[in-house]
Amino acid sequence: MAYWETIFYLVSMVIYALAGGGFIYSFVFKNPRVVSKVTLLVLFGFIAQTAAILARFNATGHLPWSGHYEYALMGGWFIIAGTLFVGWQNKQLQGLAVGTVPLVLIMLGYGYMQNPALTPMAASLKTIWLYIHVYFAWLSFGGYSLAMAAGVVFLLKQKSEAQEVPNPSYERFPSLGRLDELIFRYVVFGFITDTIMISAGAIWAKDLWGSYWAWDPVETWSLISWLIYGITIHLRVTFGWREKRLAWLAIAALSTVIICFFGVNLVVNTSLHMFQVR
Amino acid sequence: MFTKLYKFLSSLRFTIWLICLLGVIFAAGLWVPQKRLLKTIYLDWQQKSPDLVAFLDSFGLTTIYTSPITVTLWLLFFLNLSLVLWQRIPVIKSRIVLSESKIVDPESAGGYPFHSYYPLPDGLNEDKIFAALRKHGFTILGNGNMFYGVKNRLSPIAFALFHVSFFLILFGGIIGVYTEFRGYVELAQGETFQGELERYKDDPGPKLPEIGSLPDVSFTIKSIVPRVVRNTPTGISIMLVDSRGKSHEVGINVPYNTNHTSVMFKHLGVAPLFILKDSSGKEIGGAYMKLDVLKGGPDHFTLGGLLFATRFYPDYALVDGKPVTRSMEFNNQVFVISVERDGKKIAEGTVPKNGTMTFEGYRLEMQEMPFWVRFYVNKQRGLSIVYTGFALATIGVIWRLLFFRREIIGSIREKEGQLCLVVAGRSEYYKSLAEDEFVKLFSGIVRKTDER
Repeated sequence: MAYWETIFYLVSMVIYALAGGGFIYSFVFKNPRVVSKVTLLVLFGFIAQTAAILARFNATGHLPWSGHYEYALMGGWFIIAGTLFVGWQNKQLQGLAVGTVPLVLIMLGYGYMQNPALTPMAASLKTIWLYIHVYFAWLSFGGYSLAMAAGVVFLLKQKSEAQEVPNPSYERFPSLGRLDELIFRYVVFGFITDTIMISAGAIWAKDLWGSYWAWDPVETWSLISWLIYGITIHLRVTFGWREKRLAWLAIAALSTVIICFFGVNLVVNTSLHMFQVR
Repeated sequence: MFTKLYKFLSSLRFTIWLICLLGVIFAAGLWVPQKRLLKTIYLDWQQKSPDLVAFLDSFGLTTIYTSPITVTLWLLFFLNLSLVLWQRIPVIKSRIVLSESKIVDPESAGGYPFHSYYPLPDGLNEDKIFAALRKHGFTILGNGNMFYGVKNRLSPIAFALFHVSFFLILFGGIIGVYTEFRGYVELAQGETFQGELERYKDDPGPKLPEIGSLPDVSFTIKSIVPRVVRNTPTGISIMLVDSRGKSHEVGINVPYNTNHTSVMFKHLGVAPLFILKDSSGKEIGGAYMKLDVLKGGPDHFTLGGLLFATRFYPDYALVDGKPVTRSMEFNNQVFVISVERDGKKIAEGTVPKNGTMTFEGYRLEMQEMPFWVRFYVNKQRGLSIVYTGFALATIGVIWRLLFFRREIIGSIREKEGQLCLVVAGRSEYYKSLAEDEFVKLFSGIVRKTDER
């Protein structure tokens, strides 16, 4: 890791940890006023994370595109960017960070334990397809993460509303009906970008490996993940799965994406998606 | 009975079951080593657990992606897809058609969750309202008394487009399977290849096409220039000259494509020209030896009845008396060679690039050291159909899920003594979020919100 990258990476982790704690405090102690202040903290963490990415870019000459550490760094950036964007667009959605910030914190912690050495870009990654494929992969990860966060908030709010004295922290969030539609909207966003990611990956794979589909573990798992979200959309549109069931689906389905990004290469060392970066 | 079966086969419930089962099969394929994909691991596993492997083999679980179970599931999937598509075509047609019957009273119409009315300011008439709605992408039918508007009317076609894309991918894939040729060929700098079948590697041997001809390729390798920076391969440039004298550069991610054939770089090695001479200086033998040593492993060659076991150090150094490479960069290229005669080691030494090694009256000279490359040659038809399928799938998903339909019905009529725009609206997928959109739309048009 570059010197400034390490500093900013750790700073962003500390800030996200504080922000995560702030959100939990806000919900547990029923203090909704804290949320906007904690969101500001997330923004500072995001700036630090951006600085870490720039420092790494300065040291290696390329954006962090591959390997578990770089997935965590850049993927986490997309998730937080999405969270801040939707929170900026609609203040009621600032609290989605209660789901995404802890997720990114875990990702960054995990990434830090992986190999963060500075390496030149592997030859196999030098193609325009990398940018299309990985960019859309992270967008879909961001979309699905927001769907998960909206699912978490939905379940918490629904539980709170069932109580005699609802937690005022949840009043800041959109109504349950809107949250339900937002879960679906984020799933749809993730599904569209996921589709582009898989198509772009297949075309790239043909030039790189000679086959657009080779049942590589990461490829296969991304297909499983795509199918799961496809089913989610069908269940919602055709079978009317809404609210609690949809929220649980959005939360559970994210596990398939996490496995695809981080899990497959941990248990299988035969994936072509290990790009020989030390 | 038949109707019941038809209903089940064409149901979305069945689609979901099939997708779940296919998902389980795909996941199982990740855990059970697959014969074709992980041959070495599979053979090793077979040796360790022959009974278990035989048992799994019998169910086709070690060739799971082409096993009868998977093929059956795919067939059922496409049967289901066809039936669903067939059933949906009339629905799609009826949804996209613009019909007067869709013009209904906004105050009494069912199925429209959004209802509102907006007092019309002076000067805002039917024409201006319709023009504003058209500007927002609505197609309008009717007149001020009662009208119907629809945005993204053709969006249901995207459903068909998305599902047709699966058939294109299937069709292109089948053509690909039957016309596919796969083979590996190893060529050193200066060598010419004209697609001769016997020059393809035996292990793994070439896969011949069921239909169609062998790859029609012909080229000579002019140069091979690898690039390594800090232990990471950062590129390779292989210059080919085809039979018409035209140059092509091949690299990682940059195959040479010709006549439905792709020639892809897969592996790099060194092919030093070794000459073995006796004590009088007479040449005993010599050849370019294609050695696969760049990843640090051993390789060997024979010359003059002697076996030469080699290891290659691209950035050679001696640390504590042991040869090591400081990096993978080609800074100080040295071969460490052990010479054997009849299984007995008779000498050991080093040969730097363009250097020599003497032993027992022999002299081993390295006169030059070009590289060799392993190319993966793949010929396949139907690729353009598959890519069209990918494109249609992407367009279909974007079109259907982003540009979904919004329908409005409205009327300009007097209400509570004021001329009002009375409207009702509905949207696919969203109710609450669409309400926001409708409020914004109509408020924008009348510039004054007066929600009920």
